Amino acid sequence: MKLAVFVSDYRMTVDTLERLKPEKMGIILVQNGVYHASVKEKGKTSSILDSSADLFALKEDLETRGIDPASIDSKVKVVTFGDVVDLIFNDYEKTAWL
Amino acid sequence: MATTKLGFIVQRPGYKSENPKLALTHAIASQSVEIYLDDEDEVTCDVAFIGDGVLNCIKDQKAVENYQLNSTESHIKMALLCDLNIFVCKEDLDKYGLTENDIVLDANEMGGDLEVKVVPYEEITKMMEEMKHLLFF
Repeated sequence: MKLAVFVSDYRMTVDTLERLKPEKMGIILVQNGVYHASVKEKGKTSSILDSSADLFALKEDLETRGIDPASIDSKVKVVTFGDVVDLIFNDYEKTAWL
Repeated sequence: MATTKLGFIVQRPGYKSENPKLALTHAIASQSVEIYLDDEDEVTCDVAFIGDGVLNCIKDQKAVENYQLNSTESHIKMALLCDLNIFVCKEDLDKYGLTENDIVLDANEMGGDLEVKVVPYEEITKMMEEMKHLLFF
């Protein structure tokens, strides 16, 4: 299964993301999920960035929160809404919203 | 003369929900209740950003450009224009590696005089003790 997971919160109260083991996974950081790409708590980056999944962050949601897209972690690719549509239709079979 | 002190504590990041913005709009609205009060009674309020709430204070938010949405940044500036005290927890800013350069500090361009105060959590605790009512968002 090729799965795209939307992460829309900064604080995760469930560990579902860590338990998902699809053949291919993309994590798309949107809404408050974009903080995972930029915020370091006590100097430590989010554990989501340690994932082997392909990581994306929505440009519009970064900018809305005052985060410069150029400043986020290099593991994360900045994407626009149009890019997200392309990812859903071209790269992944299923999507999940966490 | 009686003064009712309200303390608004913002502890969540913005935008995913309206929660933090509501704290600010409620705080601002509290300054317009005087017409319902007896002479010389007044309501004052302070706003404090703690924990993840400090992320609301990052400057250069482009909410209007991307979503036609008033930014939390502009709400903070409006609160300063209304002469509300805005506190930001220094320890929590440090935790995220943020400095005063990264956050909204004033509303100078709108004619505001007050500035955001970056203070130790101890000072926010002191502020909370002085309040008659505390509202957490």
